[in-house]
Amino acid sequence: MNPQILSIVLSVIMLIAVLGLLRSYVLPEKYAVIWLLAAIAGVVLSVFPGILAAVAGFFGVAQPINLLFVAGFFIVLLLLMQLSLELARTRDELRKVVQSMAIDMEEKTSND
Amino acid sequence: MKTLIAIPAYNEQASIGAVIADLAGHHPLEHVIVIDDGSRDATSQIAKDAGVRVLRHAINLGVGAAMGTAFKYAARNGYEAMVQLDADGQHRPEFLGTLLQHTGDFDIVIGSRFAEQSDYRSTWARRTVQRIIAWAVSAYARTRLSDATSGFRVSGPRAIELFAQHYPVEFLGDTVESIVLASRHGLSVVEVPVVMNERAGGLPSQSIFRASLYTGRILLILVLAGFRSSPPGIAAARKRAKRESESQK
Repeated sequence: MNPQILSIVLSVIMLIAVLGLLRSYVLPEKYAVIWLLAAIAGVVLSVFPGILAAVAGFFGVAQPINLLFVAGFFIVLLLLMQLSLELARTRDELRKVVQSMAIDMEEKTSND
Repeated sequence: MKTLIAIPAYNEQASIGAVIADLAGHHPLEHVIVIDDGSRDATSQIAKDAGVRVLRHAINLGVGAAMGTAFKYAARNGYEAMVQLDADGQHRPEFLGTLLQHTGDFDIVIGSRFAEQSDYRSTWARRTVQRIIAWAVSAYARTRLSDATSGFRVSGPRAIELFAQHYPVEFLGDTVESIVLASRHGLSVVEVPVVMNERAGGLPSQSIFRASLYTGRILLILVLAGFRSSPPGIAAARKRAKRESESQK
């Protein structure tokens, strides 16, 4: 079987999943752009593998698939970094909320 | 009609006092709330001293979340109308009457700078952005809306009920997305011309580059909002209401 069919099927599943998550308000707008771009890029690259070969040729990469691995790995690293930052920020906000709640509760009970 | 005025404020200590003082002659201050969205300045204290209720977010969540809090407060306290007013003094309280006058006939009344008789001046880039957004939002709401990003608006009882369940939180997109959401749930929207003061602070769309980025974001929000189903909060409330009406039969 032609492996291109497998990659097309996988990338279309990815695109449908992203659209479904967006539609049901599970995935917020903030992350919509990056995931939509990733899903569409996946579909385009698997339907037209010639694009990847052309870009690989431009950068002097002998095996086009290696360009995909390098680029993919780099993007995943960036996403992971962004998630770490987001998680740190969320923890920080959670701490602030809990602290201010503790102060508010104390004020409320001592007023009674 | 029991009317609440909600003022979302983030680091507005320079203007909040004057805004409340200005408002005092037009609306009883016991029905005014300031939603302090996690300001790090004296916004809350100044508002409290001026004699209005203050709801304070422990962290900054954005103006959309502040409005969400205001709508929940309005719904819980039985208000029939809620006016959103900016804390930077851009909105003039003398137009409250103009807005409220139409609240009986429409669910949302928007004060527009660009409808006729308005003399609001702005840059070329801003006007173009506003025009593109206005065109797209008007298509959703099926009525002419020239100033969809205006934050000076009144929500009637049905709009309060809807927005108490879900109010869009996307940064700078909440004004636009809320209109789409309201239209999709069968609420009527109308605009009336008002005059606004020049804004003191900076705007997100001053240069052409930023203006197009901003327009792109709003258009993306519009496309997404049109494509999405009901937000989970609203869908659940609708289901509950339907079950109750069926069990009564």
